[in-house]
Amino acid sequence: MNEHVKSRSLHLCTHTAATLLSLLLVMVFDSTKATVATQQCGSTLLQTLKLARFAQKESVDIIKTYKASQGDMSEIICKVSLSGLPDPNISGLESSEQMSSVHSSLQEFSPHFKRVFDQQTDLQLPDSPLLDQLSVISRRSLYLDSQITVLYQQLFPNSPPLGADGGATSLPPPQNVFQQKVYGCVVLKTYKEFLSNVSKYLRTLKNQMCGINARRINMFF
Amino acid sequence: MGAVRVVQLAVLAWLASAIASHEDSVQYLVTAPQKPELQIGTNFTATCFIKNTTEVTADDLRWKYAKGEIPPEQYTKISETALNVTITVTNETSRWLFCFIPKNSEHVKIDRWKYYHGINLKKGYLPKKPENLTCKAVQYKMSISQFLHCEWEPKHQQPGDFSTFYKLNVHVLNTEKVFNKTTTESSADIDTETFPSFMTLEIWVEAENALGKVESEHLRMEANSFIKTDPPSNINIISEDSFPTSLLLNWTRPIDKTHVYLIYEIRFAPNGSHTWSHVPQADTNIDIQSFRLQNLQPNTVYITQVRCKNERDGYWSEWSNNSTKRTPSSKPASKPDVWLWHISESADEEQVWLFSKEPEFANGEIIEYQISIQDSKEKLPNKNMWEKIRVTNPNADSSTKHATSLKEIDLREKRSHIVKVTAVNVKGTSPVATIVIPEKENVPPPVQKLEVYPDAGKLCVEWTSPNSTAVSEYVVQWTRAGKMNWQREKKGIRKTSVRGNLEEFVRYNVSVYPLYSGWIGKPLHVETYFEQGAPIKGPSVKLNGKPGSTEVHLVWEEIPLNEQRGFISNYTIFYSDGTKTEAITVSRDTLSYTLKPLTRNTRYDTWIRVSNVKGFADGHNHTFTTVKYAPGEIEGIVVGVSLCFLFVVVLTMLICICKRDVIKESFWPQIPNPGASTIGTWSPDYHIKAETSSENCLSGISVLDVDICDGKSVFEEDKACLPLKKDKYMSEEHSSGIGGSSCMSSPRQSVSDSDEGGDIADTTASTVQYSSVVASSGYKGQTPSLPSQQAVFSRSESTQPLLESEENPDMLSLEGSRQSQRFPPESLSHCEGNSDNPNQVEIEAKTLDFCPVGDDSEDRQSDDAQSHEWSTTAPISSYMPQLGGYRPQ
Repeated sequence: MNEHVKSRSLHLCTHTAATLLSLLLVMVFDSTKATVATQQCGSTLLQTLKLARFAQKESVDIIKTYKASQGDMSEIICKVSLSGLPDPNISGLESSEQMSSVHSSLQEFSPHFKRVFDQQTDLQLPDSPLLDQLSVISRRSLYLDSQITVLYQQLFPNSPPLGADGGATSLPPPQNVFQQKVYGCVVLKTYKEFLSNVSKYLRTLKNQMCGINARRINMFF
Repeated sequence: MGAVRVVQLAVLAWLASAIASHEDSVQYLVTAPQKPELQIGTNFTATCFIKNTTEVTADDLRWKYAKGEIPPEQYTKISETALNVTITVTNETSRWLFCFIPKNSEHVKIDRWKYYHGINLKKGYLPKKPENLTCKAVQYKMSISQFLHCEWEPKHQQPGDFSTFYKLNVHVLNTEKVFNKTTTESSADIDTETFPSFMTLEIWVEAENALGKVESEHLRMEANSFIKTDPPSNINIISEDSFPTSLLLNWTRPIDKTHVYLIYEIRFAPNGSHTWSHVPQADTNIDIQSFRLQNLQPNTVYITQVRCKNERDGYWSEWSNNSTKRTPSSKPASKPDVWLWHISESADEEQVWLFSKEPEFANGEIIEYQISIQDSKEKLPNKNMWEKIRVTNPNADSSTKHATSLKEIDLREKRSHIVKVTAVNVKGTSPVATIVIPEKENVPPPVQKLEVYPDAGKLCVEWTSPNSTAVSEYVVQWTRAGKMNWQREKKGIRKTSVRGNLEEFVRYNVSVYPLYSGWIGKPLHVETYFEQGAPIKGPSVKLNGKPGSTEVHLVWEEIPLNEQRGFISNYTIFYSDGTKTEAITVSRDTLSYTLKPLTRNTRYDTWIRVSNVKGFADGHNHTFTTVKYAPGEIEGIVVGVSLCFLFVVVLTMLICICKRDVIKESFWPQIPNPGASTIGTWSPDYHIKAETSSENCLSGISVLDVDICDGKSVFEEDKACLPLKKDKYMSEEHSSGIGGSSCMSSPRQSVSDSDEGGDIADTTASTVQYSSVVASSGYKGQTPSLPSQQAVFSRSESTQPLLESEENPDMLSLEGSRQSQRFPPESLSHCEGNSDNPNQVEIEAKTLDFCPVGDDSEDRQSDDAQSHEWSTTAPISSYMPQLGGYRPQ
């Protein structure tokens, strides 16, 4: 009886110690992970998040400029929906998949921006601010894409690298002026919606990766 | 080594042949390498080849710079036709290196230029590594400019023959975007197409020249760290009455927060202050657009500025424009600064004017002062005796800035006065300020020593504390004409500077009053200038009275205080007669001076120069002319001369009086009276004979006119003589009475020359009557027994004396021996005498007794002697006028 009790007590102690050790190991690992995450969020993630929000602000601004430059039908043409444009939503369940989705979408938007720029070059005066802004958002999307790629590599170093070309993008067939106007506005609206989703995604990711510190850092963001 | 040498030779040979193919084929020397680019400080080896000739060998080759031959120790003979030289390239190394043949063979002499070939050396340094690379992107409209401006060092090109080119590179990390720009300057603006916000940039500069390339350190930063935005705009300051020590600031950020996350810096200062107060950076290190300034002074105008920058790195924007706002008022928090100014002081009464400056913490515009003056002999102060003085125009008088004139009070003797003052603004009343004006007999002691001097743009006041330890504070007061200001200093202060707007060139009276718990001590005064300057103008000089002959008395007035502009050190008196300028320096206390000695009758310019330590100024010229004679000088001379003349006259008169007898004898000798003569009895028959004789001998009469006297005397003489003239016809026995002739005529009948002669005598007043004895015989009267010897007397009216030469011819022709008759001067002078002295007449008569005609020849010897004696005095007696006239005989 005594031995049984003694053995039982020993087993209980061993179990408790193992549990505490496991907990300690988990805590050490978690703290290491948090440290790494904090280091990450202090640079690339926050930088990417800011860039996404900045790009989103620019997309908002360019839509205003676009509407102002398209004449009386501007409100109507921006309410039309078109197919064949990149999906503004972010797909994927895992964070890496979502980030890959962002990367793919950004690459898909690029030829559309070029098409809209070409169309608006024919429709606008050479010194139109819209053309400058179209150039800016096109370059900004590239910068954002490069930041997403870097972030992806930092956060998911073991995952396969993001593709450089992102696959073929289908552009619309030749369009008349009205269609061009509609097309341009839809592209910009879609891009704005997409950037909004990217910002949300990155903010969520930041909260996941950086926790309270990041929130404190960006409390005025 | 051998293989290397072979390769080198082969290369050089090929090089030489290659060069030779391009050069003139007749050139006998070729150098290599051509146009080398050399780094200063390194060694350089050049080779000289001989080609197309066997006249010379490598032993004949020499190397030289443009200015001198290179020593053979630096040569290396490669072969019989090639010679190397190795030199160290320095800054001083000349641009050209020549290979030549100094040999003077005929062949070389003819084609010397073919034995000459040079290398153009281009030398310099490797480019310096660019350092201190900085880049900046400024705000453009509501975004950031796409142009990134970068600067680096060195700012200047290096010395040498090579230009350094800088290539600025901007790589947007994680992209393929690389922007670059090449320049020779130390800065460049690079176009990034779209400013890569939130992207990491890698920036570096490559410096490259002919000698090599070097890169700067790579600058890797987020693009936003290079941003310099515009300053915040629309700074709005809100003042809230319930917070008199606080102001609320709002502003508009210069750029949207999505572009840049900004932090701010705020600074503020009271209006007029040059010292900014900064809000702690920790309070504004966040992206805010409003801030509340606290712990400010109520009722004070504050100037506020805000600037911003990117949250981490980046450049601060410029400060925003000034934004001003006054904090709300509150009741005065400190006592007013009360002081007095003595405006008059007499033996038994003193008048002072009370002033008050606003409290240091007035906390609002002072609208009123309340003053209470209590006599020391009054029992208890009346609490209701506060007199209210409205501040009607605060700070109107700039000289008493912030000071208000309260009231004038008369201080009664042997009483001290306690003055209490409070300041009132719209929010309340200040604490009470008290000063005590002690009675004269009990004034606390002054400071011991006071020095006032300008120093470093300020007027420093330094004093020594009184012996008493009860001093609570000091008041430094400075006054100028009609204006006063003051400042208070704590009791430990011994040196301060005047905190007021002092004007240059104005004389201030600086006083230091010790205060003994409000009791005003005795002051010490010093006059001073904040800064002295040269006087504006000199004094106007004028004469005191009229100019003298050799001196003038100058007077001038001290120039007005505002024109002195400094302490006068002295006056210099200048005076000039047009040829020479004299200067006399007198002390500053002198306001008059007597210039002497001056030249008589000379025009002088004079002026006064007033001097101080900073310069001088000349007054206006004053011109005067010295007189020839000083006033009274002429009168003095006249009086002197007159006195001398008078003295001489008096002296002469005295002499005349004292010596009248001598004079009388000299000028009016006794003339024998012919009437009293023993031969004075003339027989009447003589008259007929004489008349006959006169007619007969009329041809022998000489008439001479002599003008020896003035008309008047002669006229009078003529008058005197007139009866004689009239009588001469009535009495032929009358002597002419003239001169010595009369002597001769005395014993004889005297006959006037003619009637015409009398007329002439009447009409010619200046004539002197002479008589000439023309009788050829002796005295009739004396020799009445010889009637045949009748003498004829003819009176001469001539004005000329009868000279011997004139008399002789006639006399000789007529009488002959009569010429030799001469009479002593005494006898001649007696002719004019009218003396009544009978004795004298007798003496004369006796003398005449020795002059008979018959004796002439016999006594010639004695006559000659007499003649000689007479001749010496003859002119006197001969020209003697007939002053006495004729006495009727």
